[in-house]
Amino acid sequence: MGNALITIIQVYGALGGLVAIAFLFWGVDRIAPDARGAYVFRPLLIPGVVLLWPLVLWRWQVLERERDVAQRRHKPPRRSQDVFAAVLALAIPIILAVALLIRQQGPFEWPAQEIEQASTEGAGQ
Amino acid sequence: MSVKYIPVQWNFNKYFYDLVLLICVAVYILVFIRIGTPDAGVTRPIDGAIIRMRAFGTCAFLMLTVILCIGPLARLDRRFLPLLYNRRHFGILTFLVALTHVVYVLNWYYAFSDISPIVGLLTTSETSGQLLGFPFEWFGMLALVILAILAFTSHDFWLAFLSAPVWKRLHLLIYVAYAAAVAHFALGYLQDATNPFFMIVAGGGAIMVSVLHLAAGLKAPTDGAQDRKGEWIEVGDPTVIPDGRAIIVRIQGNERAAIFRDGDALSAVSNACAHQNGPLGEGRIIDGCITCPWHGFQYRPEDGCAPAPFTEKIPTYDLRLEGDTLLIAAKAHPPGTKVDPLTVPERET
Repeated sequence: MGNALITIIQVYGALGGLVAIAFLFWGVDRIAPDARGAYVFRPLLIPGVVLLWPLVLWRWQVLERERDVAQRRHKPPRRSQDVFAAVLALAIPIILAVALLIRQQGPFEWPAQEIEQASTEGAGQ
Repeated sequence: MSVKYIPVQWNFNKYFYDLVLLICVAVYILVFIRIGTPDAGVTRPIDGAIIRMRAFGTCAFLMLTVILCIGPLARLDRRFLPLLYNRRHFGILTFLVALTHVVYVLNWYYAFSDISPIVGLLTTSETSGQLLGFPFEWFGMLALVILAILAFTSHDFWLAFLSAPVWKRLHLLIYVAYAAAVAHFALGYLQDATNPFFMIVAGGGAIMVSVLHLAAGLKAPTDGAQDRKGEWIEVGDPTVIPDGRAIIVRIQGNERAAIFRDGDALSAVSNACAHQNGPLGEGRIIDGCITCPWHGFQYRPEDGCAPAPFTEKIPTYDLRLEGDTLLIAAKAHPPGTKVDPLTVPERET
């Protein structure tokens, strides 16, 4: 499983590298006016492009075809943020409570039971 | 802001912010290692490498906790807004500290083996089918991957390229990262920790994140918010808008507008800053421009355009008076559309 995952990551990364070369040498000048003539910052974009190349390709074609809806840029995902924040707020105490409950040494320590005694009881049933 | 991209946009305030941050991180790690060193040794269960990985690991967790607290704190109390100003550098430093923690872990627990450390990390656990003994490292890896995505997409280019809403959706993963970090801490460190200090500090920090988010969520999001359908939406008495400030009006669904007063002139613009969709209505007018409370991006009230040489634009709205009642148009003009300000009597003091 581990080796297969590593192979998938390597293939994904290699494709990301190719997208990064095409995007940073050619595409970025076409779709980002503020990037024209600015080269020093481009190496900083490489890890992000390699990690998120499917997203980069999607946005690249949206901007290339001028299908970006300007009004959408001013509609923040406020509801999504509220949902994420609420779920996190509830998840934190649950995670901590479960972790403390399964903890083998306190603060909720169960009385110790001799293993031999337990196995004897089990054998008798 | 716009104009040619540069690697890092530093100014005096950001230098100061980053310097304080670096000093705090360095002091924390040095003190942690210094205090932990007497208990460490090659003949003991905890040695120097483990102390160092714990120093960086707990530091990253506490940094992430502070980052998650800044947003709701700034919403609950405006005095915390300066902390929000350079939160991106805070996030990048947190990723680097977390990465250092992982490097220590991989080079210690997974060293001297024929298989790669990453493969070892993913395959050596035999207790993934139960909660007790679950490979908590997987949660840590998930948190690190998310922190990497957020750090690598922190440059302003990504905001403009992805658009602020897409960028914000991507960066909502910070909540998943923190939940994963809490699970990593709870199923790992918390299971065999004997020193109550860090259980209280880290667990208390996580609970504080939870409480602050609940409190910020319960706080009324806007002043004078309305939600009515129609071509014009009733806002109310225009004289209640303080000079140089705004009220925020909910238009329809999720859309919000900010109505600013500058002397006797009222102008309405989108409440979402073009930069990070920050709440413009919580900002104020400085030098005749609406100024975002998050990062200081500025727009002219009458047309929603950033002053030259910057090029950001935000949508504008029509306003009108019906008797003494202020109304705002339900439909916004395209970003950068000039709308003559509405003249109204100044607020009586």
